Amino acid sequence: MPDPIVRVEDVGLRFDKFTALDGVSLSVETGQCIVICGPSGSGKSTLLRCINGLERFQAGEVFVDGVRVRDNTDLPKLRRGIGMVFQHFELYPHMTVLENITLAPIRAKGVPRAQAEKLARDYLERVGIADQADKYPGRLSGGQQQRAAIARALALEPKVMLFDEPTSALDPEMIAEVLYVMRDLARGGMTMLVVTHEMGFAREVADEVIFMDRGRVVERSGVKEFFTAPRADRTKEFLNKILVKF
Amino acid sequence: MQYEFDWGMLLRSPYFGWIVEGVLTTFHLALLSWVLALTLGIVIGIFRVTNSRALRVIGTAYVELFRNIPLIVQLFLWLYVAPQLLPTETRLWWNRLDYVPYWTAVIGISFYTASRVAEQIRSAILAIPPGQFKAALSTGLTTTQTYRFVIVPYALRIILPALTSEFLTIFKNTALALTIGVVEITATTRKIEAWSFRGIEAYTVASLTYAATTILVVVFMSWLERRYYIPGLIRREREAA
Repeated sequence: MPDPIVRVEDVGLRFDKFTALDGVSLSVETGQCIVICGPSGSGKSTLLRCINGLERFQAGEVFVDGVRVRDNTDLPKLRRGIGMVFQHFELYPHMTVLENITLAPIRAKGVPRAQAEKLARDYLERVGIADQADKYPGRLSGGQQQRAAIARALALEPKVMLFDEPTSALDPEMIAEVLYVMRDLARGGMTMLVVTHEMGFAREVADEVIFMDRGRVVERSGVKEFFTAPRADRTKEFLNKILVKF
Repeated sequence: MQYEFDWGMLLRSPYFGWIVEGVLTTFHLALLSWVLALTLGIVIGIFRVTNSRALRVIGTAYVELFRNIPLIVQLFLWLYVAPQLLPTETRLWWNRLDYVPYWTAVIGISFYTASRVAEQIRSAILAIPPGQFKAALSTGLTTTQTYRFVIVPYALRIILPALTSEFLTIFKNTALALTIGVVEITATTRKIEAWSFRGIEAYTVASLTYAATTILVVVFMSWLERRYYIPGLIRREREAA
């Protein structure tokens, strides 16, 4: 068994009196797609931000590709190997889609401009919006914006991709186009950690599902088992609520 | 009113030469001060919002010091008091410099205006969604790169209209430099009036210089606003209708 690409060990994080993460441990192997779900405030997004050092945790350890994440880590270097996709896209509105994607490769990785632009156009092609390269994000639909944001993260050629509720801000019609892109990525062997409530996506694409509540990992199991035979009562309660049947 | 206008005198020697020199002095005093004020203002504005406590304290101290003392008092302080605080060698070097009043005015006006620019930059940065920082950092950009390539260009676009006002203010504030002996266009006007007793003609020149220039600046800035407006984010008036 090779070392996991992401290893989170007993991580704890408190904001004043609120405990956001309470002894969370998990590991992700290369090529795995893991879905994290749970009620809001359960620490899912915070956990993702601990993995790329956007959030400082007080207890425990995080390793990404063998590098320990802590205060004196070379965070820019670490983050170049981790792609992140946000709920609200967070494209830079004053730059074209192409500029959004090439900024980090050029400035953070030192890729020559021409090469970075070619790379960007390849990834735009891959997410299906090659024709939007020279537009500003404000001119794109939500689904197109999120696909551009995925292309921006992919252009780092990361070892692992973190998705933080990538479809939560989208209209129903646009959710599918983003999920297709993510499914293709997972099938292409990308290592992915996805915070989402899209249970259809989890069922079809994920290798494993993690259920979090109140800053703890309540349950981690294979997809089939998670949906058909959840172990914890809290998981059953959650699934009953979100898989509403009329 | 019995007053015979003589507009032609403005084109005669020595007045015409004085006017040209006065206008040019006003222009480069304003432009040089503006470039310095904008640069310093951006840096101080960033200081005020960084995570570093030390930088925040420096930024806040700067802004409160320079925006709470009248500009004219600051000019006097720079001219009469500041040199006294310099080491002897440096003071002698400074005093031997040509155009000491001019450089004093540049320092005074730009330091004062930087405090105002800094506040605008700060408010613009606070208006930018925090996710923009996270997104930029998550791609491996350093904090400095994040400010340089993402946050500052974004902030400047938000505050372009305010910066227009700020430039108009600095341009008109250059008139205060006459109090410390800089012969810009207002001082020139007073000189012409004193020599020729033709106050109306003389002050018309000063007024027109300011008004015509500011109008040109406004036209230029509205072009700049159109050029750098952010599609879908900053609303254009035509879109608003």
